[in-house]
Amino acid sequence: MPTQPQQSLVFLDPRDENAKPAALASRPASLDGKVIGLFSNNKPHSETMLRMIADLIGERYAIKGVLEHNKGGHQWPANKEALQEMAGKCDVAIHATAE
Amino acid sequence: MTSSKLLSGTFQFSQWEEAQEYYLENGLTDGLPIVPPSEERVRAMLQYAGLAPNAVIGTETIRQKRFTAEKAAIAAVMAGCKPEYFPVVLAAVAAACERPFNLHASSTSTNGVTVLALVSGPYAAQIGMNCGVSLMGAGNRANATIGRAINLFKAGFYGSIPRDMDNSTLGHPGKFTFCFAEDLEHAPWPSLAQSKGFGPQDSTVTIYAANAPLQVSIYTGKAPEDFLTAVSHAMLGLGHSLSEVLVVVGGELMGYLTEARWSRQQVQDFLYQKTRRPLREWVEWHRVDHPQPGDNPDRLLGCVAEPGRITVAPGGGMAGAFVSIIPSWGGSRSITRQIQTSHTARR
Repeated sequence: MPTQPQQSLVFLDPRDENAKPAALASRPASLDGKVIGLFSNNKPHSETMLRMIADLIGERYAIKGVLEHNKGGHQWPANKEALQEMAGKCDVAIHATAE
Repeated sequence: MTSSKLLSGTFQFSQWEEAQEYYLENGLTDGLPIVPPSEERVRAMLQYAGLAPNAVIGTETIRQKRFTAEKAAIAAVMAGCKPEYFPVVLAAVAAACERPFNLHASSTSTNGVTVLALVSGPYAAQIGMNCGVSLMGAGNRANATIGRAINLFKAGFYGSIPRDMDNSTLGHPGKFTFCFAEDLEHAPWPSLAQSKGFGPQDSTVTIYAANAPLQVSIYTGKAPEDFLTAVSHAMLGLGHSLSEVLVVVGGELMGYLTEARWSRQQVQDFLYQKTRRPLREWVEWHRVDHPQPGDNPDRLLGCVAEPGRITVAPGGGMAGAFVSIIPSWGGSRSITRQIQTSHTARR
């Protein structure tokens, strides 16, 4: 920040003071016994890639299950119901894109 | 409840140059120097528009942001706007909140679009906007600073900052500023504002999530069918299933359309029909990203879904047979808003 001046020019901040910085979700210590959510944005191959990731996770951990959802298009946000369902049924979720 | 108190945070500096460097180094500008937003300058904007600082001009629901008059005024000052330009900035920023514009996705996409503002109606001339020679180029303060203000707002307030939220693969120069006016004098048609149901004294701004313009030079004849075929050929190069296309027609070609008594709708229909091609051609051109085996190869696929998604705007100098084609990003629709001027305020 600028130092306190002798002659003061005061100008305004263009940013949004109410903006909340995005935070990463907390990470579980292990994925053993967890339900993994796979959240596709419908880009070609995104489901393929997510399943490959889930397979790799399954090789390393004794996961409880996998829940898939495709939000139907990469240009628009997921609907609230889908997000709530995934939040309610999954312990972790992976959102990914591919081409 | 409105308040006259400015709510933004402040920075203090001892020298003008120090302020410039601070705004530049902290990513608060577009990389060019700014007019530092003093309280006095910001208040002059708000006073012109008759708005309190905390007046909400729109709410963007994806990032859940309330766009206030004060923040729009700060961007307008930084861009170098005169207060009389501010109603255009306000209308454009409010339009960007509308859901079909899809501001969040268009601001983050690798596609790299900007917000283009097209002004229609008498207010453009009142504030000295350029609709003629080099209307998309440099040299006109209103065009340059209104477009810059919109994009500074998008970056500074909304957070669409390159390499952070803005992940444009290439971007384009219109991300600095992209704003011009429709030429009302050299067209035989009602204004774009009138075509959307506004009155002849009303002025509007239409915003597009715009990719870079493609200029086409056409010296092959005066018949509209001839030179518009050349336009359609260039449009095909942009691909299929575009959300919208803005076609800016220069003075010489507008003269030929006028002589031939072509309406705006005729131009739209002609370009729409000419750019509908069988799926197999798009596939042969490698313009279908992921062809499906079961698709009918003779199915017609257009540059856009319907003629109404082609906007034809007269503009530019009188010399030169040129057209500029500006495609919209696929997930966004253009939005038109009326500019609140003293004319509208009286009604």
